[in-house]
Amino acid sequence: MDTPIAAAAAAEPIVSVRGLAFAHPGDASGRNVLEGLDLILPRGGFTAIVGPSGVGKSTLLRVVAGLVRPRAGEARLLVRPAPDRRPSALVFQDARLMPWRRVLANVAFGLEGLRLSATARRRRALDALALVGLAAEAAKFPSQLSGGQRQRVGLARALAVAPDLLLMDEPFSALDAITRNGLQDELLRVWQETGASVLFVTHDLDEAVYLADRVVLLAGNPARVAQDVTIDVPRPRPRAGLARHVADLRRALEENFIGGAGI
Amino acid sequence: MTASPPRRPALWSAAGLAAFLCLWQGTVLTGLLPPAWVPAPSAVPGALLREIGDGIWFTAIGDSLGHYASGVIAGSLLGIAVGIGIALLPRFAAAQAWVARLLRPIPPLAWIPFALIWFGPSETAAAFIIGVGVFWLNYFATDAAVRAVDPGLVELAAAFGQGGFFRRLRRVILPAAMPGILSGVRAGLGQGWMAVVAAELFGIPGIGQRMTEAAGLLATDVLVLYMLTIALLYGLTDLVFEAVTNRVLAWTRP
Repeated sequence: MDTPIAAAAAAEPIVSVRGLAFAHPGDASGRNVLEGLDLILPRGGFTAIVGPSGVGKSTLLRVVAGLVRPRAGEARLLVRPAPDRRPSALVFQDARLMPWRRVLANVAFGLEGLRLSATARRRRALDALALVGLAAEAAKFPSQLSGGQRQRVGLARALAVAPDLLLMDEPFSALDAITRNGLQDELLRVWQETGASVLFVTHDLDEAVYLADRVVLLAGNPARVAQDVTIDVPRPRPRAGLARHVADLRRALEENFIGGAGI
Repeated sequence: MTASPPRRPALWSAAGLAAFLCLWQGTVLTGLLPPAWVPAPSAVPGALLREIGDGIWFTAIGDSLGHYASGVIAGSLLGIAVGIGIALLPRFAAAQAWVARLLRPIPPLAWIPFALIWFGPSETAAAFIIGVGVFWLNYFATDAAVRAVDPGLVELAAAFGQGGFFRRLRRVILPAAMPGILSGVRAGLGQGWMAVVAAELFGIPGIGQRMTEAAGLLATDVLVLYMLTIALLYGLTDLVFEAVTNRVLAWTRP
């Protein structure tokens, strides 16, 4: 069997980030948050981006999603466009559901921008909702759901548009530990079922090491790739048995944080 | 510390209203207030029967309702449209800012002479005067409501391919701002009735005109009848609007 490293090297890329620089438009200093960033993501992989808060992890995600434009360089999504699916879909830290829409209509939101019949929209929204185990809650309002359920609806909304790349911005960070563990396992199952590629931002090293087959550490100001680690532990992974990987990452994080952050 | 609320608030409210009417009736009966100045409340039902018998009551209400409806609808729609425009389009907001500052302080009733010059003593003139006041209420309420929409929802729209101006407006901005927009409409519904009477005092047929006639004849019972008629109409429109709002905003209290 291939090691994950060999598999990743052989796989065709889905995201190509080259020479990326980004500065927040409202920032008067004009300083770059990201600079000279290069990153290739293999198709079908699960990549986690970790780093101290404010380093630019979410910004990188938004550049890849095409929501903000980089100052220099490029972030290309190597996906053939199709009229009935979106190249990428975002899952937010806050579930970000529309409180006036019922659960099913929230899941269908992204489908309304695609070329689909009303029947197809409904079927795909229902399928996505079933995938996260919430088919029974379709007619509820978001305010009637728990935090974990809301986050699942956000995941279903992203899955409904059948994205090639799933972009996740600290999606489980606001949940309690038990709910978080449950959703992590559910995400792994969905990832394996759908075959989508995942780019997962988190500040939680344990979470990154448990989920991803590759962990990219962003550090510095402006941020660059400080570490790029492959987690070659077969799944299902023992949550307690990953301490060495986490410790390695923590050491790298601390070195970079003290060494060159200039906070 | 406040006292605990009564067990049956409606009962207390009804008792308060009854006491008010008794006090009113008493002051007139005892001669404390001269009957030529204030009619006894017991005189009002008689006035109502006479006005209905003469075919005046329903006609006056119909005329006023017509002015009210066209003024409130036109003023609300225009106020909401411009309010959305200034909240979403910075250039438009800047272009109209000083014009709005110039026109805003002018009370709707100050437009009466111009309304009469432009439109004559017509339904259009009355609707215009009503619409002016309603417009500004909706203008400010809508502007505030749209500006308060969670920017996260706007980002959500962009992330899911609904970022175009009109899609975003229809699918995100309008529903999110709807509670604030509707509270502006509701304020306009009240303000509208105030302007109706004022507009009709200047010869446009309706409740206001009938009140001017009654005042000329010192028919105070008729005056009070129409004051109460306006209160009734306001109560009815507010009740209907509240029912509609409860349906539209069902999501705010599931």
